[in-house]
Amino acid sequence: MNEAFSLRRIFEGKWTQGAIPLVLLVALLLIIEIAAPGFLTGETVALLFANTAVLFILATGVTFAILLGGIDLSIQAVASLASVVLAQLLPSLGLAAFPIAILSGLAFGALSGIVHVKLRVPSFVATLATGGVVTGIALWVSDGRAITIEEGGRENTAWINATVAGLPVVVLISAVIGIASFLALRYTRFGRQAIAVGAGEPAAWAAGINVDRTKIIAFAASGMLAAIAGVVLAARLSSGSPVLANQLLLPAIAAVIVGGTAITGGLGGVARTAVGALIISIVRIGMTFVGVNIFLENMVFGAVLIAAVAITIDRSKIAVIK
Amino acid sequence: MKSVSDIERTTLMTFLPGRIATVFGGRRWRSLAPLAVLIVLCMLIAIANPNFIELRNLVRLANSAAVPLTLAMGLTFIILMGSIDLSVEGTLSVSAMVVVLLAANDSNGNDYGWWAVLAAVIAGTAMGFVSGLVQTMLRIPSFMATLGMWFIGLGLSVYMLGGSAIRLNDATIRDLALHRFLGLPLAVWVATGAFLLAAVIQYHTKLGRHILAIGGDEDVAKLSGVNVVRVRITAFALAGFFFGISGVLAAAQLGQSHAVIGDGRLFAAVTAVVVGGTALTGGEGGVVNTLIGVLIVTVLANGMILLGISPYIQQTVQGLMIIAAVALSLDRMRLRIVK
Repeated sequence: MNEAFSLRRIFEGKWTQGAIPLVLLVALLLIIEIAAPGFLTGETVALLFANTAVLFILATGVTFAILLGGIDLSIQAVASLASVVLAQLLPSLGLAAFPIAILSGLAFGALSGIVHVKLRVPSFVATLATGGVVTGIALWVSDGRAITIEEGGRENTAWINATVAGLPVVVLISAVIGIASFLALRYTRFGRQAIAVGAGEPAAWAAGINVDRTKIIAFAASGMLAAIAGVVLAARLSSGSPVLANQLLLPAIAAVIVGGTAITGGLGGVARTAVGALIISIVRIGMTFVGVNIFLENMVFGAVLIAAVAITIDRSKIAVIK
Repeated sequence: MKSVSDIERTTLMTFLPGRIATVFGGRRWRSLAPLAVLIVLCMLIAIANPNFIELRNLVRLANSAAVPLTLAMGLTFIILMGSIDLSVEGTLSVSAMVVVLLAANDSNGNDYGWWAVLAAVIAGTAMGFVSGLVQTMLRIPSFMATLGMWFIGLGLSVYMLGGSAIRLNDATIRDLALHRFLGLPLAVWVATGAFLLAAVIQYHTKLGRHILAIGGDEDVAKLSGVNVVRVRITAFALAGFFFGISGVLAAAQLGQSHAVIGDGRLFAAVTAVVVGGTALTGGEGGVVNTLIGVLIVTVLANGMILLGISPYIQQTVQGLMIIAAVALSLDRMRLRIVK
């Protein structure tokens, strides 16, 4: 009994919550290195990063929403729509298809934010609804089919699949996004206000922070990053489809929570999400390696999500757990 | 200055939808609004395409409402408590998987007949029970607990099906969809039974009253001696029971079970409950509202097909309906903090 109590106290310490995921990541890497010596070479690590890139970009976006104490359940829909828009427009517009696809994500992210804030709809319902709206549009635009990016369009996506100085471009893209988001959260007014809103909305409101605007910006950022993830995914797979990213919602949210960002908001950040995304990616590789059936992946992630939420949640913040 | 204008703006934004609702009348009128929407919708579609009121189409309508109605019955109790159950698709696919694998099928030699149906409903109930345990014992919000359960259920069923579609060959279970009684498929009668059962539970049992009390104000309910934890777990198990039944119906209607049998069901169920007028904050609405909500969603889907509108934008329309319905429900407007 006593032991359990102290264990709980250790888990609830803010310092340990940041450190546990990192320790877990290092331990996982060591286990794999012992099981398969030679894993930690430059090439496989670069491959690991490249395979984590899309997940990380998605998870970074949803980090903004979760830091505010909300959630974004529309990211997989927005990413899929962006992939469809890109595949559809590449032949006619060339490189201009990229900004259009990304802006569509920004627009629907902002729409989620506006619905959530102005109509006072809880974020999980608001984003569930906008996710449905977006999926419908993606199905309609693509006529329900996957669109292959043909030879002509592939010229314009080749740069995403290239490598620069030994590093895949996708890794560089996700690094730039990661650093920019990190700096935005830590050193801009928006970032500080977002954390303040997540930590305590009434206090943030009373302090004169424009809570509504902060939330809308955060959801717009989440939508935009989801669209970037969708674009990168489409370029890697040379195809856009209205269900392309459907399998990524749960891993992305799990990456954020496993990294140590609390679902209650105000605690966490992009660096933690990077650690969480790597953990999810390594667990996925490890499962294939150990021979766990690929269909069971969702089960494992579902259980991991529940466990991580239970550990990181700040219960003092919610009066009634609904 | 800035914060003052903010407050003014917030107040304006907050009261505007409220005022619209007031124009439509008070509480009593608002509760009739979904019914009015349903009637107007039916009339408009019937005018645009008279085929809508043909008997054949009405039977088709009832048939396609069977699964969503049974699902939404379960979800209603959860939303009445102010919680949410996102595990609808996971639980439904587990139940469909169980019934297909235990009854006569084209993958293994099992042939347990109606025992398979019983097992499927029990599996659904067990999934709901676990959701309830996770939510109350680990003390995490229901949307997170059930998000996890959604994918646990989905992973389990896809794994057991081996990633492929497995046919259901048991003729008596298939009869749920194929055999007709008084002109309607048996599945419609099962769904009607589910509705009556849900209505009895909500209006005539202690459990139903306690669920409403928790949704109204959990603290007050607790202080009045309601065993909140037990009611919550029971409600989640009850929802799982309804999801289990709809899994069986879905498997019977499709004649098979596969990885995407649950796709889009959560969305339709949430839309139906919310559009019917059950408040997401809990404590207001009920299974009768949900019946109307399910009919609105099904009639609209049917009407869009009759009018030749692409079925792909159905989800778009449903999404907009969720937003509109939630925004128009007055009681949300009292809340300043919405997460």
